[in-house]
Amino acid sequence: MKVSRRRFLQAGSAALVGLSVKGDRPIAGSFVNDSFQLGHQLRDRTSFPAVQRTEKQAVVIVGGGIAGLSAAWRLNKRGFHDFVLLEMNEQPGGNSRWGQNEITAYPWAAHYVPVPGPKATYVRELFEELGLLKNGEWEERYLCFAPQERLYLYGRWQDGIEPAIGLSGEDREQFRRLEDFILQFRATGGFTIPMERGRSSNQSDLDQISFEEWLRRQKMDSRVLNWYMDYCCRDDYGAVATDTSAWAGIYYFASREPEERGPLTWPEGNGWIVKRLLERVGSFVRGGQMVHRIERRKTDLSVFSGGTEHRAQFVIFAAPTFLAPYLIDGMQPLQDFEYSPWLTANLTLGRVPANYGTDATWDNVVMNSPTLGYVDAMHQTLQSHVERTVWTFYWALAEGSPANNRKMLLEKDWGYWKEAILHDLERVHPDIRQCVTRIDMMRFGHAMARPKPGAIFSEVRRRLAKLDGRLLFANSDLSGFSIFEEAQYRGVRAAEKVLEIVAR
Amino acid sequence: MGILLFISVLLIAACGLIYELIAGTLASYLLGDSILQFSTIIGCYLFAMGIGSALSRYIHRGLAYRFVWIELMLGVIGGFSSALLFLAFAYTQGFQLIMYALVVVIGVLVGLEIPILMRIVKERYHFRDVVAHVLTFDYLGALGASLLFPILLVPYLGLVRSAMLFGLINVAVAFWSTFLFAKQLPAAVGLRIACLIVICALGAGMAQAKRITTAAEDNIYADEIIFARDTRYQHIVLTRFKDDIRLFLNSHLQFSSRDEYRYHEALIHPGLSAVPAPRRVLVLGGGDGLAVREILKYPQVESITLVDLDPEMTRLFSTHPMLTGLNQKSFQNSRVHIVNADAFPWVDSNTDSFDFVVIDFPDPTNYSLGKLYTTAFYKAAARHLSAQGLMVVQSTSPMFARDSYWCIVETLKQASLKTYPYHVYVPSFGEWGFVIASSHEYLPPTSLPAGLRFVSVDGLPAMFQFPPDMSPMTMPPNRLNDQVLVRAYDQDWKDISH
Repeated sequence: MKVSRRRFLQAGSAALVGLSVKGDRPIAGSFVNDSFQLGHQLRDRTSFPAVQRTEKQAVVIVGGGIAGLSAAWRLNKRGFHDFVLLEMNEQPGGNSRWGQNEITAYPWAAHYVPVPGPKATYVRELFEELGLLKNGEWEERYLCFAPQERLYLYGRWQDGIEPAIGLSGEDREQFRRLEDFILQFRATGGFTIPMERGRSSNQSDLDQISFEEWLRRQKMDSRVLNWYMDYCCRDDYGAVATDTSAWAGIYYFASREPEERGPLTWPEGNGWIVKRLLERVGSFVRGGQMVHRIERRKTDLSVFSGGTEHRAQFVIFAAPTFLAPYLIDGMQPLQDFEYSPWLTANLTLGRVPANYGTDATWDNVVMNSPTLGYVDAMHQTLQSHVERTVWTFYWALAEGSPANNRKMLLEKDWGYWKEAILHDLERVHPDIRQCVTRIDMMRFGHAMARPKPGAIFSEVRRRLAKLDGRLLFANSDLSGFSIFEEAQYRGVRAAEKVLEIVAR
Repeated sequence: MGILLFISVLLIAACGLIYELIAGTLASYLLGDSILQFSTIIGCYLFAMGIGSALSRYIHRGLAYRFVWIELMLGVIGGFSSALLFLAFAYTQGFQLIMYALVVVIGVLVGLEIPILMRIVKERYHFRDVVAHVLTFDYLGALGASLLFPILLVPYLGLVRSAMLFGLINVAVAFWSTFLFAKQLPAAVGLRIACLIVICALGAGMAQAKRITTAAEDNIYADEIIFARDTRYQHIVLTRFKDDIRLFLNSHLQFSSRDEYRYHEALIHPGLSAVPAPRRVLVLGGGDGLAVREILKYPQVESITLVDLDPEMTRLFSTHPMLTGLNQKSFQNSRVHIVNADAFPWVDSNTDSFDFVVIDFPDPTNYSLGKLYTTAFYKAAARHLSAQGLMVVQSTSPMFARDSYWCIVETLKQASLKTYPYHVYVPSFGEWGFVIASSHEYLPPTSLPAGLRFVSVDGLPAMFQFPPDMSPMTMPPNRLNDQVLVRAYDQDWKDISH
């Protein structure tokens, strides 16, 4: 293989031509599954069609996210079939919806569940049924493969997201002190998943201040530590530490076992669980059915969706709770419920970046980025060789007021967000524009309940979460934050309550 | 004009020194013994500069014209010197000859520069000032170059592109000299066109430089390269020295034809001969067909399925005459079925059962390969075993990667398999380890196929004995979610090289 002069010149001129034609390749994509127009019809009290027919069901479940599907799963499993689940979107799953292209399945939002601890009995029961937990052992192929997470800082990647390189003695000392605090809080038993099983009024004062203030009071002023705390709040709650209740900030760490080798994850994220749930209860689910009114009657309830009136003994309201006042006659607006807007994007990569390597991780975070980084959908592949992939890019619009951010989220066009995302990724993958062929985005105006100070011990929340009467609230936002375990717990509890009364 | 002129002096001095440093660095890097290399190269270079200075007295007319040409030639020769040396090392026998010739040519040209330049400008300044200024800037340029070279150029540009960058600077000096000395240059247009051509050539060279280094550096193997190809999946290199053919995948040695029979006999026969009536065999990896060659020694085996990721690899070992000589055309046998697929998904989705499963993957050097050494993988592979079935796993070296070896054994145990570790000596690898695994008791065979050169019934028991320096280590199993093996393997080899 001698390099002849001719070959060399050919290569040289090709390079010159290459240089002259090299520019931005067009990247395709769009916003997908926007549902806020539907929501705005409720807000704006648009007139809805008159009732054309009436159906009778013992139970109507409103909302087909994890809470609603879990309620359905429980009812069905107990042999109770007289119910229907109404979901506004065509595709059920809520925050656990997923997509699929020619390369892989990928999540649209929730993409993992931490290995459930002993108190999360309903989650464990579900996971045993789904074959994730066998004889006390977690199925290896659903645990996140190694290496799991990395953080880009000071121009390089480090293992894990907690900053570990370039720390000063003071930084280390503060991380150590925080660790001690977490151990103490964990030992109190007040921070459990699900949260209702542990929440104790002894710790209610923590809910009165922000996490940022709590850190300040403990004299933890390390910039690196504060960045990490802020990142954790944005990641789990979509809010910065200043807007997060100290109780919730501590909960993030104290509720989880330190030695777990997880989390559980799938290429399509929690969409995998939704698929399994739909295999069981899909026949009860009606997509594209937006409930626009719920009326309490003497002995039952009427749920209006499209031209249909559903007469039901019980309604399990599993949709986001802030929607309830728009639907239910005479219900006061909910002041304590605030939500964080999110943008998620799925980037199709026709080839992997040059610095992707064979040791690329599942979750990839860049320090001091306003975004939360990206998750690689092909990470859970059994293949040894990966050429193309899909990255799910997460962006909690945390800084500033949720209302303003929601406005911006809706106003800015796809091109604006595309540039913002690529710009963010270019810092760590300089050739990203040459790799990405498509970017689809989903806009969530109310993605997650935001545990602002006072939210966790809010009276309104506790009252709504009580499960009394015929209208049972089951969304995870009643916990003050949106995680899979809370949604599943509240869905199952609501179903149990219905079964309890029906059995009487 | 004065300052531009002296900046030219500074730049050409820097260029000259950079070429010298590049030659010295390259020679140390490729040949070793940096003291000898640097010393002889500096000597040759200074001596050649002296020749250049001496020759300058024979240049009488057209000083500016010749100065521009010297700069151009330096730009071309110096600029491509590094690329040329890399290729010379990889593709010719005469690297040193070419290197010293280059050093001499560059030295002569550099030696010509300063005397000619001084004569060009001597009309404009006092001789005293010319000497002082020219030499000041000459030495300043040398200082700049000697600092830039180790701090910026080598780490960020590399040797090939550094040379080209300074070639470009030489040409740039030539180019602006055509304007500086316009009065003395009647035919400046022609010179400028020549400059632009050389700038294009060097620019293209810089764009292609990465390709040149990979082409050359990948070929730095001890022996003659008879085949090199980048496939979609890996870099395949075959080398030959006399009758020894070696296969490298991504620069890792896979076999040497002199002793591969030891490896492949040991991989196959202790296990396969112990299966009472083996009919169906599965080979995962092993795209060289050498394991299959051993399996074909069993006439009762009706079918062999080989799963290898890379179709180029299996095609090469099906068609290349020298290689089919090694594997005795095993891939052309009608009992052999080749499947080009990623092993884990294949094992996971296929439902066939086999009496003997051979797992012969490259060492777990990264997390992608590490997946093929996990409890999840072994469980999936074990589902393919028939009631009498056995599995054998190539398991790295119990001597050089002792933690890794016993980690693989533990991983097989955690996949609910009984394990029978053994090892052999393969000169080109050193001590090498394997594990037989099955769900039932394994007893070493009492007979073996005829004509084996290494494995014998009498020798078998010793293979299952581990002396104290290779004896079992307590290791956790390797799992998809916690790949201890990849970290252990990395550490094992680090420990050895330190």
